[in-house]
Amino acid sequence: MEINCKGERIILDEERAIFLPEHDLLVLSDLHLGKSAHFRRAGVPVPATVGLNDLARLSGLLARHKPEALLITGDMFHHSLNSDIDHFSSWRRTYNELRLILVKGNHDLLTEADYEAMNIEVHSPSFCLGPFCFIHDAPKCTEEELYPISGHIHPGITLQGRAKQKLRFPCYYFGTDFAVLPAFSLFTGLSSIRQHTGDRAYAITPGKVVAV
Amino acid sequence: MLNTHPGYKKIKSWLRSAKRKPFPFQEEAWDKYLQGFNGLVNAPTGFGKTFSLFLAPLIESFGNEQPVKPSSKNRLKLIWITPLRALAKDIGRAMIESLLELEMDWEVGIRNGDTTSSEKARQKRSMPEILIITPESMHLLLAQKGSSEIFEGLQCIVADEWHELLGSKRGVLVELAISRINGMKRKAMLPEARVWGISATIGNIEQALEVLVPDVNKPKTIVRAELEKKIEIHSILPDNLETLPWAGHLGLKMAEKLIPIINKSRTTLIFTNTRGQAEMWYQRMLQVDPDLAGLLAIHHGSIDNELRGWIEDALHSGALKAVICTSSLDLGVDFKPVDTVVQVGSPKGVARFLQRAGRSGHSPFETSVIYFMPTHALELVEAAAIKEAAKNQDIEPREPVILAFDTLTQYLVTLAVGDGFIDRETFEEVRSTHAFRDILPEEWRWIMQFITSGGETLGAYDEFKKVILDTDGRWKVTSRLTAMRHRLHIGTIVSDVMLKVKFISGGYIGMVEENFIAKLNAGDHFTLAGRILELVQVKDMTVLVRKSKKKKAISPSWNGGRLPLSSNLGSVLRKKYNEALDENHPDPELRFVYPLFLRQQRTSHVPKNDELLVEMISNKEGFHLFAYPFEGRLVHEVLAALVAFRLSRLLPISFSIAMNDYGFELLSDQEIPFDEGIAYDVFSPKNLSEDITQSINSTEMARRKFRDIACISGLVFQGYPGKHVANKHLQSSAGLFFNVFSDYDKHNLLLRQAYDEVFYDQLEEPRLAAALHRIQNSRIIITEPQSFTPLSFPIKVDSLRENMSSEELEQRVTRMTAEAQKEDQWR
Repeated sequence: MEINCKGERIILDEERAIFLPEHDLLVLSDLHLGKSAHFRRAGVPVPATVGLNDLARLSGLLARHKPEALLITGDMFHHSLNSDIDHFSSWRRTYNELRLILVKGNHDLLTEADYEAMNIEVHSPSFCLGPFCFIHDAPKCTEEELYPISGHIHPGITLQGRAKQKLRFPCYYFGTDFAVLPAFSLFTGLSSIRQHTGDRAYAITPGKVVAV
Repeated sequence: MLNTHPGYKKIKSWLRSAKRKPFPFQEEAWDKYLQGFNGLVNAPTGFGKTFSLFLAPLIESFGNEQPVKPSSKNRLKLIWITPLRALAKDIGRAMIESLLELEMDWEVGIRNGDTTSSEKARQKRSMPEILIITPESMHLLLAQKGSSEIFEGLQCIVADEWHELLGSKRGVLVELAISRINGMKRKAMLPEARVWGISATIGNIEQALEVLVPDVNKPKTIVRAELEKKIEIHSILPDNLETLPWAGHLGLKMAEKLIPIINKSRTTLIFTNTRGQAEMWYQRMLQVDPDLAGLLAIHHGSIDNELRGWIEDALHSGALKAVICTSSLDLGVDFKPVDTVVQVGSPKGVARFLQRAGRSGHSPFETSVIYFMPTHALELVEAAAIKEAAKNQDIEPREPVILAFDTLTQYLVTLAVGDGFIDRETFEEVRSTHAFRDILPEEWRWIMQFITSGGETLGAYDEFKKVILDTDGRWKVTSRLTAMRHRLHIGTIVSDVMLKVKFISGGYIGMVEENFIAKLNAGDHFTLAGRILELVQVKDMTVLVRKSKKKKAISPSWNGGRLPLSSNLGSVLRKKYNEALDENHPDPELRFVYPLFLRQQRTSHVPKNDELLVEMISNKEGFHLFAYPFEGRLVHEVLAALVAFRLSRLLPISFSIAMNDYGFELLSDQEIPFDEGIAYDVFSPKNLSEDITQSINSTEMARRKFRDIACISGLVFQGYPGKHVANKHLQSSAGLFFNVFSDYDKHNLLLRQAYDEVFYDQLEEPRLAAALHRIQNSRIIITEPQSFTPLSFPIKVDSLRENMSSEELEQRVTRMTAEAQKEDQWR
């Protein structure tokens, strides 16, 4: 689905990422790399396929949009270095040409050297481009004239129909004051958002993004 | 044997000096115990069931040399397992009194969630002779290093109120703990501890013994008190039928009716079914009769321990006129001044009703008096049904839990946190329990892999670390962090995250769910423990409040499960409906609701015993199908899903499903294809297993079961009331794990358990098959009322709903958004 936001085209991909054609930029949030291994280390059995699947989805997105740069609006890494991150490092080497920008989130606690080793360009607290300010947590944005695009809360929305029917999906949220991207990793939960007048929300249903 | 025993002479002279005489069942229990039997004592409360077992090891100890040399570590002789912390204090007090009078130097210790750490440390240095403990603390003891030697001198394990534990996973905890203790004793060539239970009357008392003592080669017996308790049951009728709503569960409107009952009684216990309801009743009673202030108290599981203790003491001393309570006062030592009990709303089962009735008039030959207070009109029919079932002693069985892999997973890690375990040895012990006697070797191997390498697919679980094989050949947890986290969440009672509530000036009041507090802002008011409180702030997992002068405030709701109607009660209830339209029946309750039944008959139909009523109603909301099999809400949940599934095979359609104990509702935005022609096929027992499996797969039932399983097996760490979640980075939800395992690890045993629990526990497949056979032989009557009937209304207003759909998701979404846009145009 394609929308217009602050005079620019934005493509909302069903794989939980947005593409900005004017800037040749793919943006996503809350990748939580290393989360499954972090759980395993602590004795909670989560299969590594969970993390590998996220990387495969990311490869698919890159093949579809062929962006020059990939921007992650925070929580790229869940906790610390582990085997999941090793998988990511080798994945990263196969996409060496890709410019990878990270706007730091509350989970991103790796050292400068770690980011450097993985060829990641780190920005904190935000990265601004055109009319947008990419930041992890929108309320912390101080760039008043720019429109913040954030992540952090893993937004979800409930659709209600006749006869008490209900369906819940992850969503994109484009509010009057800021936008929130869905969490990219599938190993994340949802927190429900409320829609106010003037807000636009787009539910990510299997195979399709729908304006609601 | 008993009469010649030197210990018995001593006990007898002690009893004689106190002018007491043992009941025959007590003597029988002592005798059987001395002969080395295991067993179960079946006696009503108030007849000295505690003494029937507590005195047995005492009698034996006189003039008996100990098989093990006593040291400070192995003094422990008797373990007394109680389901409720509140019981421990009273039982301990009674035991200490007797020991003093008998001039015995045995010490009595209590160990549960309320025990201070200094007391626990003292017990670790030197155990008391008698330890009163909850099943959870029992496992915590096993999770302690060096726990094996404390059981060397143990002679007896008693499971008190065994009927309460039997039907839950807490019973499995008891089974496993016993298997471990006696396994250790066998290995050390020591005599095994005798195992005894104490149980109220239940429908499957023989099985209750078999679960507790599964070894067929051990001598075991049931000792029955054969004492009958007289019970008087009254229903409280409103002045006119209009006072009672058609639906609802609070019953506040009839509060005035309780005042004369309270006034003419010494002390009254008023039982409600939920904690939130108790809070509301407390407020309401004070409004109705302000003179009750100071004489009325409230008691439930989320009220601070110290406050509860104070209320219990006041109950003993007779300082209170009435106490509004929940199941927190179902069990245990009796409060002598209590002579009247009120049950607000349906107790849903005969056993529970009788148990609560027994809380009044506790002495052996007094009569128990219980009043039934209906909360909606149809509950009066339930009252009539309960009276009849109670008269016929038609008491439900408690089905023991089997193959609870989540509990087993937790238990193995518990052992690994303690002294570690040997694979083969523990497998044999576990297989000797009733719960796991059918466990397959490959299931055991799966669980071992689950806790040692993460799962069966190697590589997919690299870096996994939990239980590892130590150099001494035992499986152990070596990480202190993992061990600490595990100890914090031992147990099988899963609740939402709870926060402690504390006055800003100091002093705890109780606990509320995080979800409830999250909806409030500072300055908002709520009630807890009957007080109106103003929220100041939430800090470090504690809710800080101050006293408020406001008269009214919202009551928190705690997410306790709703109790389903038992099958015994369901069948009596069907019979009562059968009689409702005759005027020749003895029940005053039925006579009272007669006008309501006339209305039901006029607008639709009153189903007879050999009929199934289906009501088709269409209105603005959509198309409704109501059916009334009277099988209890758990069975209805599955039956509704089954019927929805079978209808959805005919055409793409989506349903929202609701149910109560009488029937269920299917609601759709399209016309439901149901008529005489297909009615019998839809309610057919043919292809039952297959269709049920598919209908369970297409609803959320298994996912909901998985919530508890994920917590018990240690996938999801919930934290403890008032304690920080140990690691924010490990936060996740059961639903997420359900998805992950469904997508990547289909053979996950815990996932299978979730489906099995729906299939076997909830659905009670034989019960459902029986119901469908009954329906096949009944007349299915379809009516099309113009509006909601007295029977359908209570289901319609129920908010707990399930979904089932055979439509393409995309289509549903498109239609839902189109509807929303259409509505917007009208705004």
